[in-house]
Formats: sequence, structure tokens, C-alpha cells
Amino acid sequence: MWRYTAKRLIQGVITVWFIATATFAAMHMVPGDPLASEKAVSAEIRANLEAKYGLDKPVFQQYLIYLGNLARGDFGISFTQKNREVNDIIREHFPVSATLGLLAVTFAGLGGVLWGALTALYRNRLPDIIIMFLVILGISVPSFVVAAISQLGLVNLNNLLGFNVLPVGGWGTVSHMIVPALVLGLSTMAYLTRLMRSSMLEIINSDFVRTAKAKGLPPTRIFTKHQLRNAVLPVITVLGPAIAAITTGGFVVELVFAIPGLGRYFVEAVQQLDYTVIMGTTVFYGAFLVFMVIAVDVVYGLIDPRVRLD
Amino acid sequence: MAEQSFSADAFEPLHVEQHKQVLSRPSLSYWEDAWIRLKNNRRALISLYIVIALLAFTLIGPLVWQIDPSVQDLDQVSQPPWADRRATVVEPYTPWRGETLDSPGSGLRTAQPANTQAVRLIWDVDATAEGGYRIYRNIFPIGPEKAYGLPLGEQFSPDETWFEDRLDLKARGYYYTVVPLDARYQESGEGETLYVEVHNAITAQGAVKRGLIEDAAAVREGDAIKLALHPLGTDYLGRDLLSRLMHGARVSLFIGIVAPFLYVLLGVGYGATAGFLGSRADAVMMRFADFVVALPFLLFMILFKIMFGIGPGESGIMPMLIAMVILSWPATSRLVRGQILQIREEGYIGASRLLGAKTNYLVLRHMIPNTMGVILVTLTFAVPSAIFTEAFLSFIGMGVAPPTPSWGSMCNEGIKTMLSTPHELIFPALFISITVLAFNLLGDGLRDALDARMRSRE
Amino acid sequence: MSSDKLLSVENLAVEFDTYGGTVQAVRDVSFAVDAGETLAVVGESGCGKSVTVQSVMGLIPMPPGRITSGTAKLRGRNILGNPIVGGEDIRGAEIGMIFQDPMTSLNPTMNIGDQIAETLEVHRGFTAKQAFNRAVELLEMVRIPEAAKRAKQYPFEFSGGMLQRAMIATAIACEPAVLIADEPTTALDVTIQAQILDLMNDLKRDTNMAIILITHDLGVVARMADEVAVMYAGQIVEKGAVDDVFYRSAHPYTLGLRAAMPVNDREAEHRLTPIDGSPPDLFHPPKGCGYCARCPAAMKVCNDVVPPEFAMSDTTDHFSRCFLQHPESSAVRLDGLYRKEVSA
Repeated sequence: MWRYTAKRLIQGVITVWFIATATFAAMHMVPGDPLASEKAVSAEIRANLEAKYGLDKPVFQQYLIYLGNLARGDFGISFTQKNREVNDIIREHFPVSATLGLLAVTFAGLGGVLWGALTALYRNRLPDIIIMFLVILGISVPSFVVAAISQLGLVNLNNLLGFNVLPVGGWGTVSHMIVPALVLGLSTMAYLTRLMRSSMLEIINSDFVRTAKAKGLPPTRIFTKHQLRNAVLPVITVLGPAIAAITTGGFVVELVFAIPGLGRYFVEAVQQLDYTVIMGTTVFYGAFLVFMVIAVDVVYGLIDPRVRLD
Repeated sequence: MAEQSFSADAFEPLHVEQHKQVLSRPSLSYWEDAWIRLKNNRRALISLYIVIALLAFTLIGPLVWQIDPSVQDLDQVSQPPWADRRATVVEPYTPWRGETLDSPGSGLRTAQPANTQAVRLIWDVDATAEGGYRIYRNIFPIGPEKAYGLPLGEQFSPDETWFEDRLDLKARGYYYTVVPLDARYQESGEGETLYVEVHNAITAQGAVKRGLIEDAAAVREGDAIKLALHPLGTDYLGRDLLSRLMHGARVSLFIGIVAPFLYVLLGVGYGATAGFLGSRADAVMMRFADFVVALPFLLFMILFKIMFGIGPGESGIMPMLIAMVILSWPATSRLVRGQILQIREEGYIGASRLLGAKTNYLVLRHMIPNTMGVILVTLTFAVPSAIFTEAFLSFIGMGVAPPTPSWGSMCNEGIKTMLSTPHELIFPALFISITVLAFNLLGDGLRDALDARMRSRE
Repeated sequence: MSSDKLLSVENLAVEFDTYGGTVQAVRDVSFAVDAGETLAVVGESGCGKSVTVQSVMGLIPMPPGRITSGTAKLRGRNILGNPIVGGEDIRGAEIGMIFQDPMTSLNPTMNIGDQIAETLEVHRGFTAKQAFNRAVELLEMVRIPEAAKRAKQYPFEFSGGMLQRAMIATAIACEPAVLIADEPTTALDVTIQAQILDLMNDLKRDTNMAIILITHDLGVVARMADEVAVMYAGQIVEKGAVDDVFYRSAHPYTLGLRAAMPVNDREAEHRLTPIDGSPPDLFHPPKGCGYCARCPAAMKVCNDVVPPEFAMSDTTDHFSRCFLQHPESSAVRLDGLYRKEVSA
């Protein structure tokens, strides 16, 4: 297990290096190379940038300086704002995004497993048909539409009742988190429900569940110890990509619900063409996702004994 | 067991063609079989019809509904499809200096019929209103929070008990509130609220200019004429939504179909090459694919757009297409490589080779037909995700930018006026959802029909 | 019939609703087995062997499955369709069952010891620790070396033969009166097969349990069984003591099976003769004898009337569902039916 984890971590570091290199290359391929040219930036920022990125040096040396900074965990400084470091931005805004994302992943995971198991057990009966209809809807409606509609609904609900049931936007308290997290997790939950349902159906018809029945075990025990535990495995394997989907989906939800998260900050940085912040956050997000996927794989190894000895 | 009696010849030998095995069903080719399965899947078949209808909507629609998607109909801005299109012909606008009707005590009321040319309000003198009055307008009922809405203006004398509203009037209901002001021009006391139903109005000259009537002399004041038809209403600039949806579909479906087609093609080529070469080349190629998979997709889509030198607010359909192809091929290549490796080991390939089949024959006769199903299914599922990506990017302003319509950018515009005119968001959102739904269900159906190994248990 | 036996099944009929129509998988099947006895049920794939025992165990998914008639009595109490008797599930406690493919029949994410132990926890009220210790003993009993260590391992760390031993250990954990083995050796190597069969024989001798053995391997039958029931198209077409059925076969299908079986005898100029054709479509079971279409000795009556059970002697239970045993039928020499090519 330790060897497996170590191997995955080394692979992860190489992958992050690749992401950083691709980001660096992409940024230097921008026509007119904004980092090299004297684009609309104040002299003070210009000096900072030069010191930080070695802009007066050849490109390859810039690349090495850039990698060196990254290796020290330094994601750079802002291109448009004075004295603004990407690390500060991340420190300030990422916890918000992470909280929102974590809530959404929890909601999507638990919901997906629960609904998936339920639909499989009630296969082709009313609960199955209703939930699967909603699932198809959840997969087909874009997240920003769900966000907008839920906000619209919330506004009308608050108007109707004459007081604020839940806030329509903003951040700060738990009440601010509920609706955005639900919206953010919805499509992932729909996807996981589908996955869980088909996995559960396969398990229900599997030989070892038949064995468990032949052993005369009570249905609840068969469900928890034999069906659920095995059916949940494919759901765990896709949690990595699901976390990635939820992270980027967060951009829209943060935008619509006016949540001061890193996603919204990234979109703003893009709109202001803050090249260095875009570079820094891209690499940060990339690294975050790579290590989340590894974390999910390691957790999977703990649950499925077959992976442990790899 | 009771003894039965049998006829005399019961125990004679039976001479029929008893040992012949009869084929009970005609033999079907893979594609014939798949088509029959698909035809029997009602959901998939309906989805197929929806996809065909969407293509017709995109390609034939603009020929039938020839309204220019960028022309603004200023008489009908942000009108929902169910809006009343009747307009009353009115005199050209003449300024109004207020009037005092001699029926005090009847409160806040309209002085003349309210129409989109102007809403003219009068009310009773309030002796306490030393500073005059402030007039508000809201499209929602005034709740207990006293949200009066948009402040329209003030009258600074208690005797000036009239107000004319000409601000961006639509044919709909408004809640007007008049609040008295004290000597320091602070709001004092309760406001008085009036609900006013505003109707369309148009001058005869205006109607001629819009092409609604031939001759200004043909109509008189008070006549009703119909404004231009917008089956799905108009957006915040008065542009026809149906026409914009049709033209937007060109962008959305172009990206949604062409991008997956290209990257699936690239993925198939790459994956098949890796699968054929095997060993070292395969390992290197697949490791590279793993790296590309690890790139955060949407961030790199944005990065690519910047890389092409297209700033925010500028349209970049081609860069979006290229970026999508560059970033999305690995999943298909991995799938195809796996298929090729698996098929290579299958017994029938060995048997075919043993019978002297050449590589070309093996590829054409066995490998391609056996991966076709998987590729087709991948392609179908790739369409909704590409449509989502376009919509997502356009929504955050990093995809297709105005004035080019796309479903995503229409949603982006619609969300700004979501609270007052939800139809501007709902229609493009509905089109995205229906398209994605149809392709998803069609993909499910194709998977069930084409590939027994991927067949979902439903 | 012999309802005083340990386990007796009478007039069992099972149907399945499928998209193609209703399949009559089991049609009027009766058999019984006593303590210390082994009954073998033989027949080719799809003839209803597994469905028969699975419906006794209540393992048929319902729907689409449906038991339309019959009884199954364990010590005189009906267990059919309601395997939970007196508040306690007889499955696992009174009847143990092992399956064909040990690789897929054990839970991949639970260690072997726990899978054996949970039966004891549920039926015997053992604590987790007691049950696990007993599981180790059981693994020793089925001759798994280093049982204590092995009990903590997972199915993927076991070989097929070892898994089948573990399955047997699970099935006999609660010392059941009946062990049902559904093709227990089909998925295993021949040498492992022999070991598993020996193990089952030894366990039968030691615990005096009854065994119902389902197989399509006549070699296994010869080695294990006291009684044999030959199934074809959902019916038992011949049943009797193993020697009667083997050496005094009274049904053309039994003869066909024998002719298709290799024999270990160099002297005999014996050629393997397959049975032509395939079993009938059970969506529309034939009006008469199910074997009629493939039978070289078919008569006109066979096509129209389902043959009843013809007793072969007054002293044994040996019977055959074949009109050739009817007193009016012209005496066709059954022995020659499948030996034409050789004798010619």
C-alpha cells in the first residue's frame, strides 16, 4: 500500500510538472507575448514582474525560474494589481471554493449512492421511474441554468413568504452554502446515481449475493455487507473526475450566487487578462486535481482488497 | 398412473424429418440487428427524431423564419411570447404639464389611459408633504419590506400632484408608489401604491416605418393594429428569440457535432496506432495521453483562447474547436487502444490469420467493424458534453460573444434579466437541455443496440 | 411417494416470464433424498437441474420466476416458496449449498474467514470471535493448509479449488442436514475435481448428511451417487439406483448420454456418439415426449402424449418416462440405439 501510494505520488509530481510546462508554453505563445512586452502595466508592477519571472532573461531561463518558484510553492504575482501575490489570492479565496466543493461532493456522493441503491432495489417500479426521470433531467440541464432557476425560485419563495428563507447570494454562514452546494452537486449526483444503479443491479444478480441468500443471511445484512460495499466501488473510482467536474462547475455557481471563491476570481482574472494570475491559478488547480485523484485512488485501495497488493 | 388406451398404430415408428435442425430465425448482420434493437427502444427512437428535428430547425429553420437575428424591434423589447401584440394607434407624443382634476379624494390614479408611450399619474394633495413627492415603479407587488422598486423622480412641491413616466415602458403591469417627502426631502409616511396595466401604443407614422401598415392615412387614432410577430418573444434588445435560437443553434450544434467528430477521429487514429504498435511505443504514447487527460479541461480551454490572442468579449469559435480537439482526444484513444488490444487477442482473429488473412483484411473485416460500435457510442456521448462546454464557456463570457448568438451566450444574456423576463433565459436553456437529453438517450440506445459488452442493465 | 424421507420434492413446476414468452423451466419434478444418501441430478445445460434446486432454496428471482405447483418438505415441513420456517431461515442452517463457479460465488471484498463466520453468527448466535475461530477450524476440516492465515485472506488470493473448499466450509458450517451442490466441480481442473469430490464423500460419511449433486458429468455420478435422476427438458425422464440407471438404462436419452461419454477401456471399439439436435424450446414445450424429436426410436404416440412413469421393477424405485417401456410397444432393443456406426 505504501509503495503504491509513493508510486502514485511520484507520478503525480511528474504530471504537475507537465501541467506547469504546458501552462508556461501556452502563456508564451500568446501573440505578442504579454509577459515579455511592455503591455499596459505600471512601472512598479513591471519591476516586480521582472524580478519574479526573470523577464529580462532568455525564455529557457525564465522557465527554470518559473519551475523553481513553483517548487517552492510560489505561484507568482499579479500582472495587473500592485503587490498582489497569487498565493495570497489562493489563501483568501480557495477555502471558500473548497468548502463549497466539499459540501457539493459530499452531497453528490451520498445522494448518488442512496438514490442509486434505491432505484436498483425498486427497479422498474414507481420510485425507480421517478428518480431516473429526475436523473436524466439533472444530467441534461446545464449547471448555470439550474443555478439561475434555483435562484429565481428562491427569490419568489422569499417574496411569497415575506421573509428570507435562505439568502439568494453571498457567503458567510451555513445558510449561504446550502443552495449553491446543492446546485453544484446536482449533475454529479445524477451521474453517480446512474452509475450506482447499474453497478447495484449487477451486484444484485451476482453469484456471491446468491451465495449470501443461500447462507440464509437476513436481507439487511446482505444489503449492507455484500451488496452496498461492492456496488459502491465503481462510484469511488469516478470520484476523482467528479471532484474535477465539481471544481470547475464551481466557477459558474460562484458567479451566479456571488460567492467570493477562487473560481469567480479566476473568471475575473481572465476577463482582466491578468496573465500571471491565470497561470498561477491554472497550475494550482491542476495540481490540486491531480492530487485529489491520487487521494481517491488510495482510498479506493483501502476499500478494495484487490488493489492493495499492486 | 391410469392406463390409457392408444390407437392401433400408436407404437409404429415415427418417420418424419425429425433430425433436421431448422433455423428458426433469419440470419441478421451486425448492423441489421443493431437497427432492430434501436427501433424497439422507444426512448432512443424518439431521441433520434428529436435530433433530426433539431438539425432541421438549424438548417431549414432560418429559410422558413427569415427574420434577421440582429434586428431590433424597439416596440417589443423583452416581450414574452404570450405578450399582447395589439397596439393602439395614438397621436405622436406631446409633452404634458400635469392637470388637476376636480375630484379630490379619489387617490392615486392615471390621468389618461396608460400606454407604452407614457403613463400619466395624478394624486391628491397631501398637506404634510412639504418637500413634495417621490415616485417609484416596481414590477413586483410591494411586499411587507416596502420594496418600492425603481425611483423614477420627484416633485418638489406639495401641489405638484402629477407625474409622467416614459422610462422604458413595456406592455405589462407596474406597481407605482408615491411617497410624500418632508421639508428636508426625507420620505415621510406611507406611500400610496397603484397597479397600472400598460398597453402597447404606436403612432401611425411609426407603424408605417416598421412596415406594419402601408399608409398612415389608413388608420385613425384608437384603431388597434398588430405588432410584428415573435413566436418566442424578444430579448432585451428587442431581437427575435426564435431567429436567434436558430442562428445560435448553428454555433452550438456546429461545435457540438464537429468538435466531437474531429477529436474522436484523432483519438481513434492515435489509439489504434498505439494499439497496433504495442510494447514501447504504446507505453510512451499512452503516458502522453495520461498527461493530456490530467490538464484541467475548462481552464485550458480558456488558456487556449487567450493563447490565440482572443480577449474576453471576442468571439472565437475556431479556437474553441481546436482547443476542444487538442484536449479531448485521449479518452477515445484509450478506449480504442483497449479495444484493439483486446480484439487482437480474440480467437477469431487468430483463426482468420491461420486461414491466411492479411493484415489489411483483418483490419477492415474484423477490427474496424468490431470497434465501430464503441466509437459511435463514444461520439454520441461526446456531443452533449461538447454542447455543455460551449454553453459553459459562452456563459462565463469566454466562448461566443455578442452579437453572434449561441445558446450559451443567449443564456448568459438571459440570466441578467432573469427576474423580470425569465423567457429570455428559459428558451435557450430549454434548447440546450433538450439537445443534451436527446443525445444522451440516443447514446444509451446505441450502446444497448451496438455493444453487448457495454450494454447497461435496464 | 416417500414423504417420510429427509427432503422430498413433489410435483414441482417452475415458470419464468421472459420477453419471448413464458418458459416452463421445470415441469412436474419429484424426488427425495435421505440422510447419508447422495442423489445425483444429471442432464445437459438448460434442462432445469439448477432451477429445480434453486427453487427449493428460494433463490429463484420472483418475478420473473414463478413456482406454479409442488411441495418441498424437509422432515415433513413444507419449505417451498417460504424457506423461513419458524422464524429461522433453514437456508444455511438446515440446507447448505455450493455453487458452480467458486471464483464469482464469494464476496470479493470480504475475507474468507468472515464469510464462513457470518453464517454461524446469524444461525448459531456465535460472537464474531467464536465464529471466526470456528471458521478456521472449518477451513482445516476442508483441508486448507495454514487455515488461520488463510482465513484472513480475500477470495482473489485463493485458487479455484481452494475457493470451492472454502465454499464447502461455508455450506457445512452449521452442520446442515442436506448439502446441495450445483455443479461443484465443473469450473475446476480434473485433479482438483477429484479432491473436492473425495472431500464431499468424506464429509457425508462423517456427518451423515444428504447430498443433492447436480452435474452433467456421468463420471462424477458414478463416483458419488446412490441414486440418479436424469433430467431432460424440465422433466425427470429416468430415475433409479445408480446401477439400475447405468447398467439397465430404460430411456433413450440416458443411453444417448452414455454413448456420448468416453470410457476408459481400450478393448471396446467405442466411438463417441453425439446426440443430434438440441433440446426443445421450452417456450412451447412439445405436446408429447420432450425427447421425441431427437429420439432414434420415436413412435407416433411419443409425439402426442407425455409418457407417464413406467416402473422398471417391483422391487426398486427405478422408472422411465418412455413409451418403449409400454407393454404394447414393439420391443426395440435399446442397447443398440446409439451403436449403429460401430456395429455396421
